[in-house]
Amino acid sequence: MGLSIKLLKKVKGFTLDVEWKIGNELAILFGYSGSGKSLTLQCVAGLMEPDQGFIRSNGDLFFDNTLEINVPPQERSFGYVFQDRVLFPHMTVKGNIAYGLKGLRRSEIRDKVAEMINLFHLQGLEDKFPSEISGGQKQRVALARALIRRPKALLLDEPFSALDGPIRLEMRRLLKEIRNDFDIPVVLVTHDVMEAYTMADKIIVYSEGRVVKTGSPSEIFYLPVGVEVEPLRDRI
Amino acid sequence: MALLLIVMVIQSAEFLFAESAKEITVSAAISLKDAFGEIGKIFIEKHPGAKLVFNFGASGDLARQIEAGAPVDLFASAAQKDLDDIDRKGLLVANSRANFASNQLVLVTPTRSKIPVNSFQDLQKNQIKRVVIGNPKTVPAGRYAEEVLRYFSLWDTIKEKLIFAEHVRQGLDYVARNEVDAAIVYSTDAFVRDKRVKIVAVAPEGSHRPIVYPIALVKGTRNENLAKSFISLTTSEEGKKVLLKFGFEIPK
Amino acid sequence: MDSTLLFSLRLSVQVALAATFLIVMVGITAAYLLASKNFKGKELIDILFTLPLVLPPTVTGYYLIILLGRNGLIGRFVYDWTGWGIMFTWYAAVLASFVVALPLMIRTTRAAIESVDKSLINASLTLGHSEFETALRVVLPLAKKGIVAGTVLSFARAMGEFGATLMVAGNIPGKTNTMPIAIYTSASSGDWSNANLMVIFFSLMSGLFLYIANQFTKRTI
Repeated sequence: MGLSIKLLKKVKGFTLDVEWKIGNELAILFGYSGSGKSLTLQCVAGLMEPDQGFIRSNGDLFFDNTLEINVPPQERSFGYVFQDRVLFPHMTVKGNIAYGLKGLRRSEIRDKVAEMINLFHLQGLEDKFPSEISGGQKQRVALARALIRRPKALLLDEPFSALDGPIRLEMRRLLKEIRNDFDIPVVLVTHDVMEAYTMADKIIVYSEGRVVKTGSPSEIFYLPVGVEVEPLRDRI
Repeated sequence: MALLLIVMVIQSAEFLFAESAKEITVSAAISLKDAFGEIGKIFIEKHPGAKLVFNFGASGDLARQIEAGAPVDLFASAAQKDLDDIDRKGLLVANSRANFASNQLVLVTPTRSKIPVNSFQDLQKNQIKRVVIGNPKTVPAGRYAEEVLRYFSLWDTIKEKLIFAEHVRQGLDYVARNEVDAAIVYSTDAFVRDKRVKIVAVAPEGSHRPIVYPIALVKGTRNENLAKSFISLTTSEEGKKVLLKFGFEIPK
Repeated sequence: MDSTLLFSLRLSVQVALAATFLIVMVGITAAYLLASKNFKGKELIDILFTLPLVLPPTVTGYYLIILLGRNGLIGRFVYDWTGWGIMFTWYAAVLASFVVALPLMIRTTRAAIESVDKSLINASLTLGHSEFETALRVVLPLAKKGIVAGTVLSFARAMGEFGATLMVAGNIPGKTNTMPIAIYTSASSGDWSNANLMVIFFSLMSGLFLYIANQFTKRTI
């Protein structure tokens, strides 16, 4: 169960050196922009290759440089929601969501897609194109698309940063529902304090490529933790 | 500064005019390439300071160029027809025409070819897949070749195998490179590539119109005298010697 | 109308269609590889593929003869084993058009492929699709405009090929005289009425193709 990683990667003068472990919970990678949070997600998904380390989930080993294991992204079965949503512009909402399904009969696909449409309240939008729907709706499509394959973990890179306040609240609630329904590790990257505080089961604080503190929201925000976290904390 | 500019302009004008005063352009059938090359050298020795520019090609192409206004002083063709075409358009200088050489048509095969060919009739053999002749529309050698083939009643039977070359030297090149199985070219051409090409038959007299090369002055020539000297040289004993050397015959 | 005119028209279309078919297959593949992969000698391959675009067609024709003539590096083996040669056949015309127009297709397609957002490719991978499936379902459909424009341009270029074609296919009436060659022959022999007819037709057709290609490229960028 869960997700455990250790990564060392040097890229363009920046060094990422992190190690953490989570269970089937919603963990938030929290920190300033450029502290290595997105890079961590990309490595976990297999879109970038670490120099050293390992990536393990659910008893499966996806990366280990000492054993020369590097599973390509298409075989890792992680759901990924990108910062800019990245929906396929030439496919409808239905098409985008169904894209993650392979090797199923037409009727099965139809059923699963319908299930997702309902779960994410996208009724009526099935045949629309990404350019015709709102930001919040796009985000829900992206989530549906990632989750339809029942991935082993869900990775989200600042998924709500481009959304307005009220929609954000709604998305956070939705994500908590997902965490409950799907029982998989969920890793979310954000630099928004409110998000971190209200959504996380566990917060992993990043600073300049390293993990400086991990703990529950109350531990992180109420106990004295040092100079890196205080400025962030004071933003509440 | 202005003075410098004026001097430069005068110098270049002088240069231009000086050049044209002693330069002639000769359009000639490509089969004359080697012979005229040598005659040209002799001409330059006799007329120091003169410039001789040769424009070799298929006689038909050359005639079209002159019709279109190409600034040419002399035209030497491999057939009367092309000069006649020019004459009819009033582009020849009257009474400047002279027949200076004649030629024979031969059937050649690549020396490397293993297919036995001994006569024009052998072109019908199945092993002969490709035969090249000049394009009858533009190349005199092609027209003569067609006449020969029709004479032997072969035109319809081997038409399928024919490849047209844009000028007779191209046809010669195809056969020298063994790209084709046989070609009909001038004996003078075969002479030039005799290592790669062997003559297997000669077109008999009467199988085609006599191959006579005429040369004439083109109207509008800026160097009539110099051009006339070239014609004189070509028809002189010296010129004849060169032509004979390259396999041409002299018409009576 | 002359029967040669109809024949040369039919032949030109036939040659251009065959060449374009090959160009599309090879061109899309090459463009995709050049756009998405880095490998040793990539720059050299890129230059090699682009050369026919900047070389005079006669130089291209020359190289084709060296390779495929009866004495050519490859041609001699084919001739020895089968007694067949590609020169002076309409296949040679197809090959000449293929070589000369391929760079057009590759350049246009490659640009279109490179303009596809890389994150879309990443998204497809994380959703479980292989690189090949991603190319087929995401990259190429999004590069469609460039691909179509490239195809139309290549077809037009193939129709108009002359220099290399003349050298490898020759001018054989009824066999290899494509329309550009027929125009050349008509003009060379003073048959201006025939030449005029063909030239007018060809100009109109080329203009039409350019117009079509423009419609597709206008909305990209």
